[in-house]
Amino acid sequence: MILAVNRLIRLMVVLLVVTFLSYLLLNFLPGDPVTQILGISATEEARAQLRADMGLDQPLMVRYADWLGGLLTGDWGTSYISRVPVADELIERLPVTLELLVAAQLVALGLAIPVGVAAARRAGGALDQALTAMSFALLSTPVFVLGVLLILVFAVTWQIVPATGWTPISVDLGWNLTSVLLPAVTLGCGQLAVYARLLRADLIATLQEDYITLARARGLSPRRILWRHALRPSAISLITAVGLNLGALIGGTVIIETLFGLPGIGRLIVDSIFSRDYLTVQGGVVLISVGYVLVNFLVDVVYAVVDPRIRRA
Amino acid sequence: MRRRLGPGFWLATAWIGLIVAAAALADLLPIAGYDDTLVGPPRSAPSAEHPFGTDGLGRDVFSRVVHGARVSLGVGIGAVVLGLGLGAPLGILAGYRKGLADSVIMAANDIALAFPSLVFALAVVAFAGASLRNVLIVLGVLGIPAWVRLIRGTTLAFAEREFVLAARVLGVRDRRILWREIMPNVAVPAASYAFIGMAVVIVAEGSLAFLGLSVQAPTPTWGGLINEGRTLMEDAPHVVLAPSIVMFLTVLAFNLVGDRLRALTDVRQSGLEPARQAAPLPAGPAPRPVTGALLQVEDLRTHIHTPRGTVKAVDGVSFTLERGRTLAIVGESGSGKSMLIRTILGLLPATEVSRGGHVHLEGDDLTAFTPEEMRQVLGRRLGTVFQDPMTALNPVRTIGTQVTEPLRVHLGMNRRQARQEAERLLASVGIPDPARMLRRYPHQLSGGMRQRVTIAMALSCGPDVLFADEPTTALDVTIQDQVLRLIHRLREERDMAVVLVSHDLSVVRQWADEVIVMYAGKVVERGPAEQVFTRPRMPYTEALLQAAPRLTDPSHHRLRVIPGRPPDLSDVPPGCPFRPRCAYAQDRCAEEAPPLLAEAGDHHYACWHPTGTAVSDTPEGAETHGR
Repeated sequence: MILAVNRLIRLMVVLLVVTFLSYLLLNFLPGDPVTQILGISATEEARAQLRADMGLDQPLMVRYADWLGGLLTGDWGTSYISRVPVADELIERLPVTLELLVAAQLVALGLAIPVGVAAARRAGGALDQALTAMSFALLSTPVFVLGVLLILVFAVTWQIVPATGWTPISVDLGWNLTSVLLPAVTLGCGQLAVYARLLRADLIATLQEDYITLARARGLSPRRILWRHALRPSAISLITAVGLNLGALIGGTVIIETLFGLPGIGRLIVDSIFSRDYLTVQGGVVLISVGYVLVNFLVDVVYAVVDPRIRRA
Repeated sequence: MRRRLGPGFWLATAWIGLIVAAAALADLLPIAGYDDTLVGPPRSAPSAEHPFGTDGLGRDVFSRVVHGARVSLGVGIGAVVLGLGLGAPLGILAGYRKGLADSVIMAANDIALAFPSLVFALAVVAFAGASLRNVLIVLGVLGIPAWVRLIRGTTLAFAEREFVLAARVLGVRDRRILWREIMPNVAVPAASYAFIGMAVVIVAEGSLAFLGLSVQAPTPTWGGLINEGRTLMEDAPHVVLAPSIVMFLTVLAFNLVGDRLRALTDVRQSGLEPARQAAPLPAGPAPRPVTGALLQVEDLRTHIHTPRGTVKAVDGVSFTLERGRTLAIVGESGSGKSMLIRTILGLLPATEVSRGGHVHLEGDDLTAFTPEEMRQVLGRRLGTVFQDPMTALNPVRTIGTQVTEPLRVHLGMNRRQARQEAERLLASVGIPDPARMLRRYPHQLSGGMRQRVTIAMALSCGPDVLFADEPTTALDVTIQDQVLRLIHRLREERDMAVVLVSHDLSVVRQWADEVIVMYAGKVVERGPAEQVFTRPRMPYTEALLQAAPRLTDPSHHRLRVIPGRPPDLSDVPPGCPFRPRCAYAQDRCAEEAPPLLAEAGDHHYACWHPTGTAVSDTPEGAETHGR
C-alpha cells in the first residue's frame, strides 16, 4: 500500500518535470512566435498587444501554471496557424497513432516470442545463429530505410498493398487493416529484433535453473518446458523493453506516418514544426511524453502479474 | 580471455575505415561535385562512370552518398564524444560515490529517459534551427542518460570487487583507484558502447534528415537522399537504394564492432538442448544382467570437453541396486557425485559432454533410449529430488500446477483427478491442509515445506528409483531428520530403491544399506554400509569418517580435516588420485592406479596399501586443524 502511494507520488513528480521541461525548452528556444504570426514588418505596438493577448509578458512560472491548468481542464490552447483547438486536433489524430503502435507491438511480440524461444532451445546451434544474424541485420536497419524497401517491394513492384494513405476503421475495417499492415510491419520489425534478443538471453539464463533441470528429470517435453516453465520467468526484461521501447516506437511513428502518409500525431507534430505552430507541437510533445510515462508506470504493475514474488514486495 | 573476434569484425572494421576515408577525402576524389547537375542524363542507372547512377537532376548519386557520409560520421563522432564526455564522469561519480550523488543522478536520469527522445530532438532542432552544430548537440545530450547508466553499472560492479575494496582499505587515494583500477575495466564496455552509440546516432541523424530537419540543402545527407529518392522509386529505384544500402551497411558495421567488443567480456551460453552433440564414448560390452537387480550401472563415464582439456567427471562407475534398498554415494564436493546422478538420468548440461557405459533399469538399457523413450522413463519410473528446495520449484507457477503436471502429462489424468491425487500426495509427505497449499506459490513456503513438495512431485507417478541429490543439505538440522525419515518411510511403503547422495556421513550411516565412496570421478570404495563404516579400507574413506564431527566428541575437540585439495579433474596425475593427500602413500601409488578389488562380503576398494592391515596403521601426517 505504501509502495503504491510512493509510486503514485513518483509518477506525479515525473509528470510535473516532464511537462515543465517540455514547456520550458520550447519557450526558451530561439524563434519568436509573435514574429512568426505577425511577420517581421509588424509594428512594435501590434507585437506588444499580441504578446499580452498570448500572456507572453507574464513571468515564466505563471505562464507554466496557466498552461498546466489548461492542460488539466482540457484547454490546450488554440493553434495560431489553423485556428483549431489543439486538443481537438490531437484527439482526432490519436486513434491513428494508437492503432499503429498497437499493431506494431503485436507484430513485434507475435514474432519475437517464437523466434526467441526457438533460438534459446539450442543456443549456438544453426537455427540460433541464423536467427541472431537476422535480428542483428534488422536491428541495424533504420526504420525509414526498411519502410522504403518494403514499399519498393510490396507496393511498387508487387502492388499487394497501397504505398500510402489511410482508411479509418469507421469507414472500412478491411481497408483499415490493409493500410496499417505495411506501416505496422515496418515499425514492428526493429522492435522484433530487440525483443527476440532480450528474450533469448533471459531464456538461456532461466534454462540453467534447477527447476528446469528438475522439469527435465520429470520427463517433460522440451516444448512444454520452454513455453510453460521457462517463458514466464524470463519475461521481465521483455516487459521492461516493451515499455521503454515505446519511446523508440513513438519516435518511429513520426517517421512512419510521414513515410506512409498516415494522419497521426507524429505527422501532426512534423507539420506543425514546419509551420511553426508552437502550441500544437507543445501539445503533441506533452501528450506523447505523458503517455510514455504512464505506460511505463503500467509496466511496473504488469510485473506483479507475471512474477508473483513481486506482489508481496 | 583470449577470444577470436571473427571475420565479421574485421570486415566491419574495414567497411568503417573505407567510409571514414571516403568522407575525409571526399573533395580529393575524382568524382563529380555533389551539387553539379546534369553530369549525366537524369535518372540513369548505375554505370562505370556513375557507379550509383544519377538522380532526377542528373547529379552523381555516388558523390552525394560520399559527401553525405561527412554529416553522418561527423554528427556520430561528435555526439558520442559529447555523450561520453558528460555521461562518463556522472556515471563514475554515481557508481563510485554511491549514496546521495547516485540517487540524484539516477533520479534525473530516469526522468530524462522518460522523454521520447526523437520527438524531443525534432522539436528542439526545429526551433533552434537545423544546423550541423544543433543536431550534434541535441543528439549528444540525448545520449547522455544511456552513457550514465552504462558507466555507472560497470563502475558499481567493479567498485565492489575485492581488488578495489583492498585498495580502499589500504588507503589508496580515490583518484588513484579510479585511474588504476576502475578506468581500465570500464574501458572495454565503454569502447563497445561507443560503436553502438555511433550506430544509434547515425540512425537518429538519418531520421531527422529524412524529415528534413538535419543539415539543410544543398549539403547532402543520407536521410535526405533517401527522402528525395522516394519520389523516383518507380522508375529509378537506384537513387533510393544506393544511400539506403550504404547506410544499412554502415550502421550494421558499427553495431557489429560494438557487439563483438562486448562479447569479449561475456560468459559462454548454452540452451536447453546441446547445439552440437559430442560423440559418445565407446559403450563397452553390455553387462551380464544381475538377477534381482533393479538398477544396474556398468562402467559409466562422463567426459566434459573444455578448452583446458577433457574433464573426466565420472570415470568408470559401476554398481547394482535392488528394490527396497538405499544406496548412498559419498565424497567431497567435486568428486563427481551429482554428475553421476545426472549421467544416469541423461540430464547432462547441454554441449560438449560425452557419455559412455550402460544404465540398465530392469533389463532395459537407458543409454540406448531415444529422448522420447527416456522422457517416459524419467516421468514414470525415476524420481529426482535436488539439494536446494529454494531453486527446485518454478517461482512463477503455483504448487498445484507443478505437482499436478506430471500426473496429467504422464498418467493422463484430467484436472480434477490430478488435483485430488496431488492433495493425497501432499498429505502423504506430511503437508498440512494440502488443498490450500496447492493454490500457493513457492516463495510462500518454508524450505522444509518446499522440499516436501519436491519429494511429492518426484513420487507422483510412483517411481521405481528415487534419486535424492543432497536432499537435506540446504535445510535446518531439525528438518533434515524429518525429511530423511520421510524418504525412508516412503521407500518402505512403495518398495522403491533410493539413491542418496550426500557428503554428510552421519546421514549416510543412519539410512544407507550400501555405500559408494567417490573420489575424482572414480569409485574408490564400495560395500555394505556397516562394513565400510566400521572397517574402511581406503585411506580416503577413513579420512572422511574422521573429518565428520560426532556428537560424542568432547567439546573443544579439534576438527579434523583432510589436508590438500581434490585433484584438477582435467589433469589427474597418474597412479592413485588420492596419493598427494594420502598419509600412507608409497612409491607404487604414484606409478600405478590401484584397481577396485573385492574383499569378502562384497566389500570393494581401490588401494595398494589399505588401512586396517598391519603394514600401515599409524596415520602420520593426518593433520588436525582448529576450527
